[in-house]
Amino acid sequence: MMAVSCLSRALRSLTVSQSALLTSQALARTTLRPPQPSVTVEQCRGFITSASLEQYRSDWKNREKYTVRPIGMKKTGGRDHTGKVRTHGIGGGHKQKYRWIDFQRLRYEPEKKEEPFDEKVVLVRYDPCRSANIALISGGNRKRWIIATENMQAGDIIRTSGVIGRMAVSTKEGDAHPLGALPVGTLVNNLETEPGKGAQYIRAAGTSGVLLRKVNGTAIVQLPSKQQVQVLETCVVTVGRVSNIDHNKKIIGKAGKNRWLGIRPSSGLWQRKGGWAGRKIKPLPPMKSYVNRPSISAN
Amino acid sequence: MAAPSSLARCQLSQTGFLRDLSLLCAHRGILQTQGRSISGGQTFFSARKAPLRKEPEKVEIPGLELVTYADRMHYVPGLNRPKPQKWERDFKDPRYYRSPPPTMMKLYKEKPCYVYNQRSNVLEGVPQAAWLTKTKVIPTLPPQLLSLAESSTDVIPNQEERVQNAIKQARFWDTTETRTPKERYSVTLLHNLLHLCASLQPSHPALSRRILAESYDLGATWTRGDELFQIRGRSGLIHCSMDPLPVISERSEVHSTADHVLETFYPVSPTIDLQKLYVYKENINCTGFLDGCLYPHAHTLYFFEVETQYRLRPEQFRAKMVMFAFGNALARAHKLHGTDPQPLLDRPITVQAVGTNGRIFQFMVFQLNTTDLSGDDGVKNQIWIDEDVELYDFAKVRPLIKKKVVQVPAGLAGYKPEVFRKFLALYLHGAV
Repeated sequence: MMAVSCLSRALRSLTVSQSALLTSQALARTTLRPPQPSVTVEQCRGFITSASLEQYRSDWKNREKYTVRPIGMKKTGGRDHTGKVRTHGIGGGHKQKYRWIDFQRLRYEPEKKEEPFDEKVVLVRYDPCRSANIALISGGNRKRWIIATENMQAGDIIRTSGVIGRMAVSTKEGDAHPLGALPVGTLVNNLETEPGKGAQYIRAAGTSGVLLRKVNGTAIVQLPSKQQVQVLETCVVTVGRVSNIDHNKKIIGKAGKNRWLGIRPSSGLWQRKGGWAGRKIKPLPPMKSYVNRPSISAN
Repeated sequence: MAAPSSLARCQLSQTGFLRDLSLLCAHRGILQTQGRSISGGQTFFSARKAPLRKEPEKVEIPGLELVTYADRMHYVPGLNRPKPQKWERDFKDPRYYRSPPPTMMKLYKEKPCYVYNQRSNVLEGVPQAAWLTKTKVIPTLPPQLLSLAESSTDVIPNQEERVQNAIKQARFWDTTETRTPKERYSVTLLHNLLHLCASLQPSHPALSRRILAESYDLGATWTRGDELFQIRGRSGLIHCSMDPLPVISERSEVHSTADHVLETFYPVSPTIDLQKLYVYKENINCTGFLDGCLYPHAHTLYFFEVETQYRLRPEQFRAKMVMFAFGNALARAHKLHGTDPQPLLDRPITVQAVGTNGRIFQFMVFQLNTTDLSGDDGVKNQIWIDEDVELYDFAKVRPLIKKKVVQVPAGLAGYKPEVFRKFLALYLHGAV
């Protein structure tokens, strides 16, 4: 392979059009200094005539250190990094700022003992990036945002614990415990699928899950969709219902309000109704289990 | 296809026609051919960048040399990518200076230091500042100052009218725009009031033993509990005096502060929102003035709530006033008695502080009784705070009208003369 390319390069230097590739100045140089010429021309780097098209649309996401400051976002319009539409129906809307939520509630402060800790709610406020309200909590030397529960108020003290005792704990709304420590029938939210991964389920406004039963080191939780999931009992949940319970009663009122929220109208093309239309009676999906998957360690 | 035609033209030019044209065309020839050779791989020039992904960890085996394509000077599949050699310039260029990691720095210490500066936004406000400075907070002004304020009804001739004129000048007459911005009128108003107070110099000769300074840099160090704390930065205006302020509370009252229990704010740590530094100078202690300064005693500090660079909420602003009043007193005490902590100062140090946002005033009097701050027991320092006093209710350029009824008329409304009397009392304190 190399031999072929070497040969072709040698042949190229002998072609007739070769001289045309040289500038007049380069030609003059060839006459003066014969040994270099063809090599210099071939290895010189082409001019890049266009400006850099690199876009820093997703740079605001690349942060390493946690901050409670609102982070400026850039709108994607539903496009991915190649510039093609990945999600339809996104575009426009009011400018929003992102507040970094700490979904891993049981995150111990560095250089501190791993034991249950208290935190104080500093304020509860609206968040443009989600339907639920968020709460700024502070304890020790740090502050962080979490998803607020229904009756959370500024000044409340909430507890976070990783201990599973012999007895079920008596809980207060807003506290976070492992599923194994809670009594059966508790309303929970911010459910982790794997211990230490951070909450992924039951985060939307006004939702709550029910701890149905605890079996053999695992816990079964009913999600707001009535589907049941089985997770390890060390998964941490928050007790209570997510805030902003009247979110589903809000009246959008006009088409333009959806545009303010950054939602574009669907295409408007007439399409024949298919299987998606009409009444559906189908059994509940089987229980989803996250138990046998390998667990990631808390970072 | 443009490339063959240009090539053909170049060949023509080779024959000797039109020297200038050949120059142009030759360039184009090079460009075109190179464009062609590169455009074979479409992805090479595509400027699209995939989102950052975590790269797999590179394993380096000692003693094993990677075969790279460095000597070939071009990419070869199967060979490793050469590591770019780090080039270090052999001359000093301050534009490209890179600081060494903190652990390599000369001032690196094992023990962290918590630094408070002028833009620190402490979460818990005055209680936190009181904990940091081991201070008992008393929510009124001391009785001496209150009686002085009561008696100073008409010290300045036409006092009320002149104060109102000072407010109007700051709020209405200081600009060609319709409305003066807050950043401007708060500064103007304070200077106007100070100017008014300074007109008392003929009747109070002690007032001439003071200077007004700005942009002084303060630095003070202390230990509280096991932690090391520093206050650094510049707070604003300062009135310096040749004579120290008189002591506010007597010895018996100072001793009784030992029973006071400081307010705690569990679960929040008192060091929250302070800057945690590992690279710092130990034993910083600087009043901001040279040692032989004629006016060594801090009399009153003046703070502006509205700064152009940063903004603090009222509670955090008061905390800043407490901290800087304490810092000034502590720096002075360290200058006088050395940096060794003293459980009870023979002569307590008093510093006053006045903060304003152009309408609302905060008055404080701080008395430093002890420099031994490490434990929670023993004598505490004292601070008298008179917070959120309004000098006037409204200063409207246009009247506020609701439902065709004038709610607030244009101009100055609701002027409260007793607030200026308090300001004047703090000004005259130590000179009467």
